[in-house]
Amino acid sequence: MNLFTSSVITTLLMLTMPIMLASTSIYKSKLYPEYVKTTTSYAFVISTVPMMMFIYSGQEMIISNWHWMTIQSVKLSLSFKLDHFSMIFMPVALFITWSIMEFSMWYMNSDPYINKFFKYLLMFLVTMMILVTANNLFQLFIGWEGVGIMSFLLIGWWYGRSDANTAALQAILYNRIGDVGLIMAMAWFLTNLNTWDLQQIFMADHNNLNMPLLGLLLAAAGKSAQFGLHPWLPSAMEGPTPVSALLHSSTMVVAGVFLLIRFHPLIEQSAMTQTAILCLGATTTLFTAICALTQNDIKKIIAFSTSSQLGLMMVTIGINQPYLAFLHICTHAFFKAMLFMCSGSIIHSLNDEQHIRKMGGLFKMLPLTTTSLVVGSLALTGMPFLTGFYSKDPIIETANTSYTNAWALMLTLTATSMTAAYSTRIMFFTLLGQPRSNPTVMSSENNPLLINSIKRLLVGSIFAGYLMFYSIPPTTVPQTTMPHYLKLTALVVTLLGFIVALELTTTSHKLKFKYTSNLFKFSSLLGYFPAIIHRFMPSIGLSTSQKLAFTLMDSTWLENVLPKSISYFHMKSSTIISNQKGLIKLYFLSFMITLALALTMIKYHG
Amino acid sequence: MKPLTYITIMTTMMSGTMIVLMSSHWLMIWIGFEMNMLAFIPILMKNFNPRTMEASTKYFLTQATASMLLMLGITINLMLSGQWTVLKPSNLTSSSLMTIALAMKLGMSPFHFWVPEVTQGTSLPSGMILLTWQKIAPLSILYQIAPSINSGLLATMAIASVLVGGWGGLNQTQLRKILAYSSITHMGWMAIIMMYNPTLTLLNLAIYITMTLGTFMLFIHNSSTTTLSLSHTWNKLPLMTSMILMLMLSLGGLPPLSGFVPKWMIIQELTKNDMIILPMFMAMSALLNLHFYMRLSYTTTLTMFPSTNNMKMKWQFESMKKTVLLPPLIILSTMLLPVTPMMIILD
Amino acid sequence: MLKIIIPTIMLMPLTWMSKPNMIWINTTAYSLLINLITLSFLNQSNDNNLNLSLLFSTDSLSTPLLALTTWLLPLMLMASQHHLSKEPLTRKKLYITMLISLQLLLIMTFTATELIMFYILFEATLVPTLIIITRWGNQTERLNAGLYFLFYTLTGSLPLLIALLHMQNNMGTLNLLVTQYMTQTLLDSWSNIFLWLACMTAFMVKMPLYGLHLWLPKAHVEAPIAGSMVLAAVLLKLGGYGMMRITTLLNPLTNFMAYPFMMLSLWGMIMTSSICLRQTDLKSLIAYSSVSHMALVIVAILIQTPWSYMGATALMIAHGLTSSMLFCLANSNYERTHSRIMILTRGLQTLLPLMAMWWLLASLTNLALPPTINLIGELLVVITSFSWSNITITLMGANIIITALYSLYMLTMTQRGKYTHHIKNIKPSFTRENALMALHLLPLLLLSLNPKVILGPLC
Repeated sequence: MNLFTSSVITTLLMLTMPIMLASTSIYKSKLYPEYVKTTTSYAFVISTVPMMMFIYSGQEMIISNWHWMTIQSVKLSLSFKLDHFSMIFMPVALFITWSIMEFSMWYMNSDPYINKFFKYLLMFLVTMMILVTANNLFQLFIGWEGVGIMSFLLIGWWYGRSDANTAALQAILYNRIGDVGLIMAMAWFLTNLNTWDLQQIFMADHNNLNMPLLGLLLAAAGKSAQFGLHPWLPSAMEGPTPVSALLHSSTMVVAGVFLLIRFHPLIEQSAMTQTAILCLGATTTLFTAICALTQNDIKKIIAFSTSSQLGLMMVTIGINQPYLAFLHICTHAFFKAMLFMCSGSIIHSLNDEQHIRKMGGLFKMLPLTTTSLVVGSLALTGMPFLTGFYSKDPIIETANTSYTNAWALMLTLTATSMTAAYSTRIMFFTLLGQPRSNPTVMSSENNPLLINSIKRLLVGSIFAGYLMFYSIPPTTVPQTTMPHYLKLTALVVTLLGFIVALELTTTSHKLKFKYTSNLFKFSSLLGYFPAIIHRFMPSIGLSTSQKLAFTLMDSTWLENVLPKSISYFHMKSSTIISNQKGLIKLYFLSFMITLALALTMIKYHG
Repeated sequence: MKPLTYITIMTTMMSGTMIVLMSSHWLMIWIGFEMNMLAFIPILMKNFNPRTMEASTKYFLTQATASMLLMLGITINLMLSGQWTVLKPSNLTSSSLMTIALAMKLGMSPFHFWVPEVTQGTSLPSGMILLTWQKIAPLSILYQIAPSINSGLLATMAIASVLVGGWGGLNQTQLRKILAYSSITHMGWMAIIMMYNPTLTLLNLAIYITMTLGTFMLFIHNSSTTTLSLSHTWNKLPLMTSMILMLMLSLGGLPPLSGFVPKWMIIQELTKNDMIILPMFMAMSALLNLHFYMRLSYTTTLTMFPSTNNMKMKWQFESMKKTVLLPPLIILSTMLLPVTPMMIILD
Repeated sequence: MLKIIIPTIMLMPLTWMSKPNMIWINTTAYSLLINLITLSFLNQSNDNNLNLSLLFSTDSLSTPLLALTTWLLPLMLMASQHHLSKEPLTRKKLYITMLISLQLLLIMTFTATELIMFYILFEATLVPTLIIITRWGNQTERLNAGLYFLFYTLTGSLPLLIALLHMQNNMGTLNLLVTQYMTQTLLDSWSNIFLWLACMTAFMVKMPLYGLHLWLPKAHVEAPIAGSMVLAAVLLKLGGYGMMRITTLLNPLTNFMAYPFMMLSLWGMIMTSSICLRQTDLKSLIAYSSVSHMALVIVAILIQTPWSYMGATALMIAHGLTSSMLFCLANSNYERTHSRIMILTRGLQTLLPLMAMWWLLASLTNLALPPTINLIGELLVVITSFSWSNITITLMGANIIITALYSLYMLTMTQRGKYTHHIKNIKPSFTRENALMALHLLPLLLLSLNPKVILGPLC
């Protein structure tokens, strides 16, 4: 098995090479993006070796090297966990990043700092790799935070735009809320189990795990944009499209779900946490699907669909199917990256136009993009025998057949049909009908960088699910028989979504839009979430910090109670003491009084 | 004043103090005090003007009263014990009278009113003598009768002095008044330790005199009597400004400087006698003093007040005044702390 | 110990005798060399103290702080060059002399074994700092700041002197090498409570504890760059160091007395970091962030477990370097725009990209990005306070969030966005400034590789 570990290490080391070279003159040349892309592709090729070996032998491994430090009884060292999750995830992430990098060579071509952009992308990938392969919580935390910070940098890439800066800050803020959960979990594990090693944590005897698991759930909710902490995800669309593609497909956002998958041995033991995850996931998937229905920004729709899919993954974990959730992460990565790249292609072709109502008729102008967009959307909705089908269908089947909460199931099914609806909406508005874009736009997709990268993912979106589906070990005994209607539910609700959406579009296309219904407002204003949370809460927080912390406490009370009052007191006493009139008569009078008093007191007292 | 007269007067004044220091006879002590006082009045009036006139009158009146009180104490003591020898007075009334008389001479609160006015009324050199040399004789007598002094009386006066010295100085802009109030505070510190360890009083006196002499000499060198005139020092004598800063901080008793030595020793001695609140109080009120010293050093050293252009280049003219004593005094009054263990030998 | 003290003293004649164009170079170079000597102390072969003489010893708590102190002098000298370029030569030399004497006093403070000597040196550091703040500060508010600084510290520390003398009378010695083997049990009585308060107040003012912190923003804001640097990096750590030293004498009263102060610092941590969110003044923001970080250190020290001490030590070193670096960055902005207001320096990334990188790294270390030692410190503190009481995680968590927010707010505010027209013709960043930032960041990164050397004696 020497080949196994060494090729993993080679993969990881290879990825750091371009970052190291950033201090040499290669960094200044125009070839650097090409170099980074090639390195990533080679890393992908090498990483398939351990993946194959793992699928063949099914043997997990841990590489532990470089003892970092020992704090009393806790040993911290650099160690990698090579199990099913990391071994499958690495090639997938590398493959997708490779395509995205190729895509961004086209998309970011005119950016003066393209080399830096590629360095950032690569660092983002590396931190994700660290997160995935980490065998102890500290290392995982390094990757976790690294992903967050790199997302800050990448979302805020166009730093001149205040929207981009706000979005970047939002991403960090929501992530940081999640981090608190992770830190709490780390603190709990250390105080109660005295270890951060995953094996030792899983092996130890547990009785009450609610606290750390809720911490982990909070962490996952922050990172994976679950309901309540979701608004950063659509805002993150302010970043360049390749960033959105990378962020939303294979890295950052799935990190939260991945964390829960990593900790499934613990989650299995706590029914309460499972229920919490289930409900949170179901709420997210429905809420974000609703929000996606009425958006007009093409990237926002896809972003909300990501959020919805993340909710679905959470649901899967909630019904105790981590392997299915993991499968969905991987399959989702392919078609979601491709969808973003398609939207990037459209946006770039239409001269930075993101509004779907200003598109239309693109199937003639951008045939490949159209094909890919359709395939991606169908895969997203779970069209049979495309990639999405292999993960989405089992998830819904399992949910149907498990003893789960019917309410959560209902939400999930509704969200699934809505997936079809908003996918239809994208396709309908961008691809079909008459062109509504600016007629002067000259666009074409005849750039090998663009075409090749999309093609590669297109193939992935069709076949990857089929390939991966057979590699996951069944954790729970699958239901051998089930009624037809349960088996077909997933398909039926999806078709229902399609049909209703199409029907609605065709019927309402010519109608005049008189007034906006409350439901429409709810959906298009993102459930009033930004208005409440992003206006009200910061306003309260900031005015509290200004009024209470600064004005009331620091500038008034603390200033007055200590220094001001003391100096006032001394000033008064000083004027009293030193206001002498210079009259010797009075002095002698006071001398005499003192003398008399002193003598009397001494006489009668001392 | 003719030099010969001046020398005669100075000699009389000094010999008065010497007599007080050396004599073992109460009458001689009294005579010494009187000599000293009478000889000091012309010194106060050296530059004759109504202010000095007023100052010397006030000085004369208080000192004469104090002398009479002292005489009263001596007589009572004589009446009860029948001897003139300076032993510790066995009688409470006489010792209290003597203490009050000496406190009046030293200008301790509540008999302090004359000190700032007399100091302000006279010239800087006379003020210097008033605040340094003139403290020696009364303190030596206090030192000799220390065991018999009513501790409550002395402690009350000491605390009052520390407070009055601190508060009084806060409200002043005249350097001589500030130094007068500073002397009141220092008298408080010396008096508080008198009951427990009189040697520390002497240590404190020695360091106080060194610091005050240095400060006065610097002021005389600059001929500055107000805070405002101090603020122009930087364009006359740049080096002096930094010395003034160090001296002021030392007078305030900031730790690495000499001024901290007596404070430290006194606090240590007081805590040894299981007093916690008293030294705490004293130390805190020393901060008041530090505050006005800080203000002085702000105007002198740490800021540069704007001044007219023709004043700026004054540092180019070499000063003709002799400053033989200044360097050793400044060194002594700032850098004594490391040799503290040697001073404990005094103990 | 003389091998550090004497070279440091000799830096003063070096300053005064150097040629006018060599004063900065000579002093910087030689003070860096002095730092090399202290680095050798980091190798503590066993748990015992490294006794250097009767008066001085270092152990693994004081060595990192000692190394930090000596490391900071060359950095301060580098940072002040531009600030002093318009001053006459004598004043430059005087300024350098002040920095050197402060350095000297700090070296002795951190290594002193006798507590009274520690106290005297602790107070002695006030004088040069005060002179630096009030003499070389920029605005008139500096006079007030100096008074606040001096009188807060002195009022806090005078009770300590009395308490120390009292303890000396009781125990017969205050030598730290001896007292650690003496068991003085303080019973739960009012007088002992006051003793505890007297001992701790001095250091809590110095740290500073929330409520006693007003001097800090004033002093930090008004001080010249070297003053801000040394205040943030070393002088605040004197408080933490002193607390760690003196709590050994105050057992077991700390367990009981710690509660109000823990509450106060936990609360103050949130308050001060939320003040940071509303600051428009760059230096004031950094100063308040120091207060909030030091609150963590206070909590850690009061919890009094080995882990919390490790966290406190690591956090002190980490914060020393980070906040000093932030002040340097703020100063580099100040030297270009002559304003501390953040809105006037926005969008600097376009103009000074390399500086923007330093800003980014400094902000990231300030918000405790793993695997920097800032994170190790904070994580240890959070863990210990979590094990002390689970509820603290809410406050700690809120603080973690707010810290991240204001750090990035500062970054976004100064570096991102569109630049304004009045900063179009600013000077490019000097090699000196870049070297200065690199020298701040380098130890942070290197220590992240081997944090053990700064985790203190209990590791």
